[in-house]
Amino acid sequence: MNAVIRRILSGVVVLWAAATAAYLALLAAPGTTVDTIVGDGADTPEIRARIVAEWGLDRPEIVQYVSYLGRVAHGDLGRSYLLQRPVSDVVGAQLGPTLRLAVAAAGLGIVLALVLALTTRRPWARRVSSSAELVLVSTPPFLIGIVLLSVFSFRLGWFPVSGDKGIAALVLPALTLALPVAGVLTQVLRDGLDRALDEPFAVTARSRGLGESAVLVRHALRHALLPAIALAGWLFGVLLGGAVIIESVFGRPGLGSVTLLAVTSKDMPVVLAVVVLSATVYVVLNTVADLAYLVVDPRLRRS
Amino acid sequence: MRRIATALAALALTLAAACDAGAGQTTADAGQPVDGGALTWGIETEPITFNPHLYAQAKARLLVWNAYEALLTHDDQGGYRPWLATGFEAAADGKAYTVTLRTGVTFSDGTPFDAAAVKANIDQLRSPGYAPQVAAVQLRNLKDAEVKDSTTVIFHLTRPDVLFLDFLSSPQGAVVSPKSLKEAKDLKAGGPELKGTGPFVLDRYVPGQEVHFARNPSYRGERPARLDEVTYRFLKESSVRVGALTSGQVQVIEGVPATDQALITSNPELTFRKGLNSGSAYSYYFNIAHAPFDDIRVRQAFREAVDVPTVLDAVYRGTATRAWSVVSPASPLYDKSLENTYSGDAAKANSLLDAAGWATRDAEGFRTRNGKRLTVRLVQSAPFVRDRREILAQTVQAAVKQSAGIDLRVSVVDQGTATKALADGEYEVFDNSRADTDAGAALDLLLHSGAAINRTGFNDAGLDGLLAEGVATSDAARRRATYAKIQQKVITEQALILPLYAPADQIAASRSVGGLGFEPTAGVPAGAAGVWLAK
Repeated sequence: MNAVIRRILSGVVVLWAAATAAYLALLAAPGTTVDTIVGDGADTPEIRARIVAEWGLDRPEIVQYVSYLGRVAHGDLGRSYLLQRPVSDVVGAQLGPTLRLAVAAAGLGIVLALVLALTTRRPWARRVSSSAELVLVSTPPFLIGIVLLSVFSFRLGWFPVSGDKGIAALVLPALTLALPVAGVLTQVLRDGLDRALDEPFAVTARSRGLGESAVLVRHALRHALLPAIALAGWLFGVLLGGAVIIESVFGRPGLGSVTLLAVTSKDMPVVLAVVVLSATVYVVLNTVADLAYLVVDPRLRRS
Repeated sequence: MRRIATALAALALTLAAACDAGAGQTTADAGQPVDGGALTWGIETEPITFNPHLYAQAKARLLVWNAYEALLTHDDQGGYRPWLATGFEAAADGKAYTVTLRTGVTFSDGTPFDAAAVKANIDQLRSPGYAPQVAAVQLRNLKDAEVKDSTTVIFHLTRPDVLFLDFLSSPQGAVVSPKSLKEAKDLKAGGPELKGTGPFVLDRYVPGQEVHFARNPSYRGERPARLDEVTYRFLKESSVRVGALTSGQVQVIEGVPATDQALITSNPELTFRKGLNSGSAYSYYFNIAHAPFDDIRVRQAFREAVDVPTVLDAVYRGTATRAWSVVSPASPLYDKSLENTYSGDAAKANSLLDAAGWATRDAEGFRTRNGKRLTVRLVQSAPFVRDRREILAQTVQAAVKQSAGIDLRVSVVDQGTATKALADGEYEVFDNSRADTDAGAALDLLLHSGAAINRTGFNDAGLDGLLAEGVATSDAARRRATYAKIQQKVITEQALILPLYAPADQIAASRSVGGLGFEPTAGVPAGAAGVWLAK
């Protein structure tokens, strides 16, 4: 029980630290919120005064910060400076499409990685697969997306180009995002498998007369999974970062484009909401990863 | 990295299109107008707001007139004609406009359109915290709006201002149902809650994806909808827009960059149109507040050092229209006599710089004076860079270095850094184009002493007088003469500005779509009223 409370408390501290760090970073960035709202339009002291009055920007930064924290604690994320809508609407409406994309891409990436790592054990196959993985990891997702679109949407017409409209529209963006993920995970898994198969327990298992594939799946894979699970946090970062580009290429709604717009225009309330949300997901994912270790590795359950 | 990616993508598309062109057969044109059908239109920009009063993006203008209408509209001669009005009349002293309104018009929520509704919109625009830029610029000379009777409104001005008619024809001047202005939950974001009188009704907005309009069944005006519905998809990447069009997933797109235009024009299934925007041309403004551009010879030398057609061809492959004046050649106020009067003479540039004291060169070949290099800085704000203007700047940079030894430093920075550089005067070149329908409105902001975006630091009572004269009269010939004087003063006499090109919009469409075009005067793509889809 104590462990759970400790976990929750440390989670809250992480969230607060993330929100504060984002706040300070935006404060330190050049320009002011008023500059953002004025944009490249007409700019007079009168216009500026009205904007300052409307958003209460004449209060000291520390007061704005504390009042922000207070409102967040009550579940009020504020209003977007730029989009003039409540932040909860802006972010809430975009959460679903991004979640669908991220889950589909993560699932696809993990399945691809497992299949590739387990099937390409022969020297020639691993050479081919390994080069393909390197190419995928080093190719910008923007290019992967455009090439997939040109072939499967513009030429063959199998999938629609844009939007969040059912499974067909999800295939290409999810694949674009999954390929680099699969590239990295396969490399990590293969490396883990190689090391596990050199261990004495693999020899023991073989001497019991177990077939090579059974040794691979039942014994080596468990060992290889541990480093892969440690990458869960990294995986989330790749998915969110990739979503920014994928969503704009595929004309998909989602958090990625909202984040990009909010950061470039210093839309503080939206940036903070996205940061807090991402931090929450990080905390949850890392907790899940810790639990997964227990499932995968029986040795950890005893301690 | 991204540039390479774009180039590869363009290559892939070229190959795809080349195959298509071989296999495709020419279909008939759109033929006679027909009613019905659903159109999908790929657009570049997702509007920040759908509230016409807060409109600030020229790229979003094509959406505004689907759901909303204004009292007046521009004709193609630089004048105005009634739209929601039946007529308008200026007082003899120019300090009042009487506008009579159409009867029997209702907003799509059933609220009747009348003089009280017009006044409610003006009151809303002037309420604190709602539309500060409209209140401070377009309505600065408005005293009040008087409801004379239910179909007559009199606008009283504090001084003559013809640009007030431009306001009445602008998206900010669109008339919104006063009931929805009161009741809308997210008033400043606009959207389905905000009702207008237009031929379509905005009924669905999916952020990041699309906005949907349905035909307004109660519309009785002069620009009825032919389509049953039209969906605008937000496709930010130009190669994706072009691919979506060539594969038939959308029927119309706007925003076709130079690199993709050959793909469209070589495809017999597609049509391509280009329209020049009015307002101000994309130009470099010289900051004369400090050296080196405080010396007119250096300003003239910079202009002579750039061979504009060569630079434009290198970047836009012959698709750009060269500008000779700060006013767009599409504007009725454009002074044609400025054409071929300056620029592109490297020998002249060098002799001007020699005379101005920048006669020595340093090890890298740049000119120097008293040991100081001839360096000028151009600061571009990344969120507002479009039309490959950062590439254009690099090309100009190479041109002025090669022909005259001028060191142009280009930096593309975030908006905060750019605003700070401008506020501190840490720049010598400022780049800008404005899409105002009346070029006079753009010049007021750019050239008047101490105006909101006067970045040249040129303050001149004579010029201010001419600018005031330009908005005080509605006589077209007199306005043209006044603005010709203004253009000659800033371009020829003072060499304050290097005009580069006239911003343009492009529409590419399937041949089955008819009735597409550009809005008169504004030059941006027109809305969906009058557009039809052949069966």
